Amino acid sequence: MRDNSEKTYVEDVDRSIYDIRNDEKDAYRIKQGLTPAIVQEISEKKHDPAWMANFRLESLQIYNEMKVPEWGPSIEGLNIDQIATYVKPNTRMSAKWSDVPEDIKDTFEKLGIPKAERESLAGVGAQYDSELVYHNVKEEVAAQGVVYTDMESALTGEYEDIVRKHFMKLVTPRDHKFAALHGAVWSGGSFVYVPAGVSVTIPLQSYFRLNAAGAGQFEHTLIIVEEGAYLHFIEGCSAPKYNVANLHAGCVELYVGKNAKLRYSTIENWSKNMYNLNTKRAKVEEGGTIEWVSGSFGSHVSYLYPMSILNGKGARAEFTGITFAGGGQNLDTGTKVVHNAPETSSYINTKSISKDGGISTFRSSVVVTPKAKKSKSAVSCQSLMLDDRSRSDTIPAMDIRTQDADIGHEAKIGRISDDAVFYLMSRGISEEDARAMIVSGFADNVSKELPLEYAVEMNNLIRLEMKGSIG
Amino acid sequence: MTINELPSKTWNWLHMNDTQLENIQIPEEKPLTDEQWKTDTEAWKTFQEITSGMGKDMDTLIKRSGAATHVYKAPTGEKTKEPVKLTFDYKEGACEVSALGIRAEEDSEVTVIMDYTSDKSASGQAAVQTKIVAEKNAKVRLVQIDRLGNKFTLLNDIGALCKDGADVEVLQLVLGGENTYLGCKATLLGKGSNLSAETGYLVENDGVLDMNYVAEHQGKKTTSDMRAAGVLRDQAKKLYRGTIDFKKGAKGAVGNEKEDVLLLDEEVVNRTIPLILCAEEDVEGNHGATIGKLDDELLFYLESRGLTKEEVYEMMAQARIDEISRKIPDLETRKKIFEFQGRTFEAEEQV
Repeated sequence: MRDNSEKTYVEDVDRSIYDIRNDEKDAYRIKQGLTPAIVQEISEKKHDPAWMANFRLESLQIYNEMKVPEWGPSIEGLNIDQIATYVKPNTRMSAKWSDVPEDIKDTFEKLGIPKAERESLAGVGAQYDSELVYHNVKEEVAAQGVVYTDMESALTGEYEDIVRKHFMKLVTPRDHKFAALHGAVWSGGSFVYVPAGVSVTIPLQSYFRLNAAGAGQFEHTLIIVEEGAYLHFIEGCSAPKYNVANLHAGCVELYVGKNAKLRYSTIENWSKNMYNLNTKRAKVEEGGTIEWVSGSFGSHVSYLYPMSILNGKGARAEFTGITFAGGGQNLDTGTKVVHNAPETSSYINTKSISKDGGISTFRSSVVVTPKAKKSKSAVSCQSLMLDDRSRSDTIPAMDIRTQDADIGHEAKIGRISDDAVFYLMSRGISEEDARAMIVSGFADNVSKELPLEYAVEMNNLIRLEMKGSIG
Repeated sequence: MTINELPSKTWNWLHMNDTQLENIQIPEEKPLTDEQWKTDTEAWKTFQEITSGMGKDMDTLIKRSGAATHVYKAPTGEKTKEPVKLTFDYKEGACEVSALGIRAEEDSEVTVIMDYTSDKSASGQAAVQTKIVAEKNAKVRLVQIDRLGNKFTLLNDIGALCKDGADVEVLQLVLGGENTYLGCKATLLGKGSNLSAETGYLVENDGVLDMNYVAEHQGKKTTSDMRAAGVLRDQAKKLYRGTIDFKKGAKGAVGNEKEDVLLLDEEVVNRTIPLILCAEEDVEGNHGATIGKLDDELLFYLESRGLTKEEVYEMMAQARIDEISRKIPDLETRKKIFEFQGRTFEAEEQV
């Protein structure tokens, strides 16, 4: 038996790219805290229509009435009175990278966003603190009737009625305290509309960057994919590390029409001072499909459970997730599925890795209503512990209210098998390569669901970081 | 009172974190002093410290009811072949509370069979708490049969403390009653100690079955195996909570949990929450659940052999019960189970 000092040391995710800090040259930074006056000021700055201004104030009232969750990781270190909920960068949104200020552009260049746009994306949105600084969609995609714009333009322009019909209707402010907070102070995010029958063959991507210390980011993403349409949407997020708490309480609402398909991929790489209290929900109509691919690598504390409401006959949800919790991180992630129509199906496959004192929790719920006859659900969650200072919990719930459903669940927790390492070493592979190979293999079925550049990055990350010290 | 709390909470809207009971009666309001409560001075303190599946409110209920703890001891090295049989025969309208302590000394072996029974149509309420101390290499086998009337509420709680090499085996069959609450927690303190818990149930009509099983692995190379298999009919409601909790230091521990639920009617409610909590690297935890109706192909095959659908359902339900009753080391008890179900205890069953 090897003692701890002999174990392979796995480094944290290399954050040097993400930790680039720019000096704050805000055009405007609202004062810290959360009061009706602050919320009204955000409304005025953003030229909200009257209904939205009222919605914000109602949400604030709900926020004040609701309690913080009694379950999950502690958020005691988060004091909303010390968070600036709106920070406007000193630039206007542009459709040209050349118009974006040098320091901001440089950050996005280092994160690879413009390069990715040139090579593999149909459109890009880039948010810096509370506002979008860049938004562009390829002409041929726009020509198909696809709308990809920032939420503010959609709200105050020709899509106001669509926004009003859908905004925070799936995730209402009463959902939980931080959904209410989002309703009160949301800013930025993307609006996507894919008309019926249109297939967007190359992905759209929004990237969210929070540069300001002690600030919050509350972007709202609203995507409507009409009947028979297809879209792959990629969301990335990161922030440099500060020694004060930052807050991310975004909201994603996805409407997937009849026989439509939406693939929503997220790579979350927030810094370790971030409280990531994000809410994502999709409603899927008859024959439609939602595919979630979720990689959680960053944040100090995360509460993240994308939810799929399968509302039409034959609707389908797939959730593939990986969570990597290192030192100082408490990542509570998972998913929720509601089967609310006949012949719906869900397939959940998650992996989590805990190391260096990190805590990862897989939390899920599968609810099958009496309407969901002949529905099927399969949940598989696997956890890998890389040392005995870490923690890994699995909390899956199932609530089945029809006889005619087929529900399966399996969970496994364990360590890297000494036998497997021994076998690989007997084939001439070094111990560190053997361990890296096993961890890569463990994450393989998730990484192959990621967009290629992210999958390569994740595999490199695991391989490089398993090359730490042995013994 | 609050019972069956999950060791780690989740979303409140699921209503699985605990169970709130509002109409539980306490027979007489005559709380005992600590001095009165201990019927076995030596064992009492240890029993007090053992946490149970239902939790503190059940301890309080026992104490407030004035029920003295009846202690059964298995002396060092004594391997009792004959089981200790305890029959709880409740009358119509009963409202009773009982507390038991089982202390198995080093290298001892004991089987305790607890049979809860009443008239088939009886109503009433019973609360029974059993606490177990299994010393080094002791083996305790606890069998509990619920054959209560269809208006009966039962709170059945177990707390066990297992020292080095101790083995606690719990076999439970829930066949009767209207509202049944089961709590079972084993603290696997000693190296190589083990909990095996097997529960079989058949819940019908408006019946409620609410369970909370916890295996807390503290010692090295501890093992747990929790299995629940059952059938829900009519408008029955079931909630299964099962937790494998690997504490730091439980190196080499292995925990397994398996649930198999057969849903026979459209209006049943089946809820399940199996937790694995892990603060130790060198462990292995597994959970599996299969929930659903009878496999169509199996049903078709058996129907093609001349059985009606109802007969097939009956056979499948019985199979789940028989799997557990077969393990009960007492023919008389097994015969009673058959009789309760209106079946004949045949010769081959006795083999």
